[in-house]
Amino acid sequence: MSEGYTFTVNGVQRTATVDKPLLRYLRDDLHLTSVKDGCSEGACGTCTIIVDGRAVKACVLSTKGAAGKNILTVEGLSPAEQEAFVYAFGAVGAVQCGFCIPGMVMAGKALIDKVPCPDEAQIRRALRGNICRCTGYRKIIEGISLAAAILRGEKEIDPQLEEGGDYDVGQRAFRVDVRAKVLGQGEYCDDIYMENMVLASAVRSPYPRAKVLDIDPAKALALPGVLAVLTAQDVPHNKVGHIQQDWDVMIAQGDITRCVGDAICLVVAQDEATLEKAKKLVKIQYQPLEPVRNIREAMAPDAPKVHSQGNLCQSRHVTRGDAKAAIAASKYVVTQTYRTPFTEHAFLEPEAAVAFPYKDGVKVYTSDQGVYDTRKEISIMLGWDPQRIVVENKLVGGGFGGKEDVSVQHLAVLAALKVGRPVKVKLSRKESIDFHPKRHYMEGTFTLGCDENGIFTGLDCDIYFDTGAYASLCGPVLERACTHSVGPYCYQNTDIRGYGYYTNNPPAGAFRGFGVCQSEFALESNINLLAEKVGISPWEIRYRNAIEPGKVLPNGQIADCSTALKETLEAVREAYEANPGRAGIACAMKNSGVGVGLPDKGRARLEVRGGAVELYSAASDIGQGCATVFLQILATTTGLPLSKLRNMGSNSELAPDSGTTSGSRQTLITGEAVRMAAADLKKELDQAGGDLAKLEGREFFAEFFDPTDKLGADKPNPKSHVAYGFATHVVVLDEQGKVKEVWAAHDSGKVVNPISIQGQIEGGVLMGLGYAFTEDFPLKDCVPQAKFGTLGLLRADQIPDIHAIYVEKKELLPFAYGAKGIGEIATIPTAPAAQGAYYAMDHVLRTTLPMEDTYYKPAGKTKEDR
Amino acid sequence: MTLARIKRVALVYCQGGGLAQRIAQGRREYAGCREALEALKAGEIPDAPQPLCGAGCVGLGSCAAACRKGAIAIAPQGAAAVDGEKCVGCGLCVRACPQSLIGLVPQDMPIAPLCSTNLPGPAAKAACPAGCVSCRLCEKNCPVNAISLEGGHPVIDGEKCVSCGMCAVKCPRGVIVDAYGIFTPPPRAIGRA
Repeated sequence: MSEGYTFTVNGVQRTATVDKPLLRYLRDDLHLTSVKDGCSEGACGTCTIIVDGRAVKACVLSTKGAAGKNILTVEGLSPAEQEAFVYAFGAVGAVQCGFCIPGMVMAGKALIDKVPCPDEAQIRRALRGNICRCTGYRKIIEGISLAAAILRGEKEIDPQLEEGGDYDVGQRAFRVDVRAKVLGQGEYCDDIYMENMVLASAVRSPYPRAKVLDIDPAKALALPGVLAVLTAQDVPHNKVGHIQQDWDVMIAQGDITRCVGDAICLVVAQDEATLEKAKKLVKIQYQPLEPVRNIREAMAPDAPKVHSQGNLCQSRHVTRGDAKAAIAASKYVVTQTYRTPFTEHAFLEPEAAVAFPYKDGVKVYTSDQGVYDTRKEISIMLGWDPQRIVVENKLVGGGFGGKEDVSVQHLAVLAALKVGRPVKVKLSRKESIDFHPKRHYMEGTFTLGCDENGIFTGLDCDIYFDTGAYASLCGPVLERACTHSVGPYCYQNTDIRGYGYYTNNPPAGAFRGFGVCQSEFALESNINLLAEKVGISPWEIRYRNAIEPGKVLPNGQIADCSTALKETLEAVREAYEANPGRAGIACAMKNSGVGVGLPDKGRARLEVRGGAVELYSAASDIGQGCATVFLQILATTTGLPLSKLRNMGSNSELAPDSGTTSGSRQTLITGEAVRMAAADLKKELDQAGGDLAKLEGREFFAEFFDPTDKLGADKPNPKSHVAYGFATHVVVLDEQGKVKEVWAAHDSGKVVNPISIQGQIEGGVLMGLGYAFTEDFPLKDCVPQAKFGTLGLLRADQIPDIHAIYVEKKELLPFAYGAKGIGEIATIPTAPAAQGAYYAMDHVLRTTLPMEDTYYKPAGKTKEDR
Repeated sequence: MTLARIKRVALVYCQGGGLAQRIAQGRREYAGCREALEALKAGEIPDAPQPLCGAGCVGLGSCAAACRKGAIAIAPQGAAAVDGEKCVGCGLCVRACPQSLIGLVPQDMPIAPLCSTNLPGPAAKAACPAGCVSCRLCEKNCPVNAISLEGGHPVIDGEKCVSCGMCAVKCPRGVIVDAYGIFTPPPRAIGRA
């Protein structure tokens, strides 16, 4: 046995006795949790530290390799450097989910040490190994530039900004989570180290479809340090699922797997090394079976049934007027078939949870999009009264829809109840990629007609979704794809048929855009073809058809007073028309709120305690910043300063259910509940002469519910959603076909926080460009082929100029100060605008995403078969 | 941004001395690397028992002679090496090398496979102590699919590479080297800043 490997960490000499990845040593032995584990493959950059003056990924270097070296993490930065980065990143809005941020800080610091006054190009290049999925990089680049200026002494920190003296709606609010996230002090689930905590991980099927003949855990159980091996027999009710409970917690002996990564058994062990060893010792015999590879195979009459009830998981028929007759009578008609890929969310934080016995039940710390959803799924699995299960969000390192289903939470609970100790379960990046629900693959045939002036007459379409092995949110996502396939226009004849099929591919579910990225890509492309036939520009045809306040949307809903699609079109007109043959344009609409007759409620409770107002509302902040939005609404309504306000987070024991972070709903739905409760408090506060101390111990609860009509309601003008956001994007290419700039104009009602909304738009646009050009999810016989580093995520040195524009109308909705959601719509129109730009450039209609034969993907490069 | 803005430095894609040592057996003064290679081809240099990697550095310093900055020298094991601090990326050495072993790489991309052999694994192993043996561990472990074996040696796609160093730490032969000296010992003899 060697004497170990000695190196310096943040100025302190340390000796590691075991040769292992430096990342594991820094996290598990020193608990330096700023060093994040985003992939452990060298691909994501979240574990970036500085070694001998160079930015290095801690997962690549070993303790042995680090011997004799000088290591620096965020925790070891000087107070002046820490303050510079906290202020700079907060002031420009560089922090969203925050999981990439400590790595970005260290990459930036390494650069600034060598180049004290770096230009933008140098910063971009220094960040090329660090992925951010939220911000679109621009704000991080600005943050590093500002931090450098502060460290040079050229700019000063304004402490008032973080103190939040002026935190009103509409102000450039410094997010409340900036400091904790920049300095790595904020706790994500994987940062939890509890006394007596052990680890659990599932042994998973390498086959998409195979019969499990035998599970033999004897050897694993005999290994010292292994506490338990659980199988399906240990699960009271072996099914979970966000809406439909069709997802086996574990595949029982004798049953058939449905996708790669299906859990067969769950091993609990005292440490990571033992766990990995034990998992290999579990002997599982499979009989591999022919998988169902795609929609066509799933539809075949003799296809194997992925689920016993058959392969058609969900279908929808959305119709109004008489589309067939309207199209038949149209002057111009276009029919095209489109294909869009599965897309991986690639949130930077892989799924993790920690559960432990609590009171008469169990508590679980989670990274998800709704603690009450998770509680419900676990209660179904256990057959328990939901109250016995307490779910609390830790920081969530990105979600984008991919953390709506349970992934590890329920497994942590099962293991914790079995061994009576805290148990952490986290997914490796490969596990996360293999089986968390993706954006649906779509094949759709769209027929759109118009009259001689380009006024749309009717839409007829078929939308086929591959929902993979499990339903996840197939129903609502398919429904949103159908209802939004019409676009933000005002024609009245639609016949839309949607089908979601089970296959043995990874499951598909919610993803930013919620089905609308797929269907609007198809619709907007058809619109360009109609414009050509009519002989008007793509801008003009959209403007002629654009929805306006008081007009009727294709679903029958009367557009409300806040509708500002035309304003977004006007905002980008100049940019579009200045680049003939190089620019593409697309519009989008996206619902804010779940709508369609469901009880979509926002709830908030305020408690005056210790001279401050505590906000309790279970609404997950997954990085988009709703925790800050609520405090801004609270500050505005009560007139109290930020120092008197606290957001107590998302916890099912303490905070009322305010619904899922989904459907771009938190700012509007929960925001209005917060405003209502705050207004009640304000009334009492005024009566108390403004003395908050007099309200000590008081509680103020509010519930917001604005009813909507269910799909197909028998009304002339059903109201499907509380609100819609609208947007128009213009993508401009350079001579090589590289995206030079994107103009993204948004109607999101009242802008609550200008820097946050810019970050949302920039990040959404970059995600949309990835969808258009680079991101893919190749499958070979249902087996995912991509690694995190090959998903095609755009990097900091690839970003175009993104101009985020928000149009604010005077007429606003009477909720949440008139705010409407921005979360999803920012990513919807980008891909069709990019496709339109290529069509304008070379007149080749690209009907498949990611597009073939572009600057980003030159012709001739073969795609993996699917 | 364009790569043109980033300083490029010369890199010798060989750190083995196999060929150089054989040339040295020629017991003759050669005017430069090119002449020595011709002598080798003409059979003027006696055969040795082990296989020969014909792709490697000749070790007679034509590159060093061409360099006006004194940035290249022959390292102890016989192959040329570049001092990245002194190098200005002019490319004179690139043209001087008859084996086409020298390339210009962005200075901020420190990970490089320093082998150009075309021999299959076992032969390469026998021919050179510092040669690629085609084990493909670099290919398998690269998170961004930036490295692949071409001929008998790894080649990095600079467009894809993010300089994470994974290939360098996985390489069992020390072929893939980190110029900064963090993931691997720095390239032999003289390093790069």
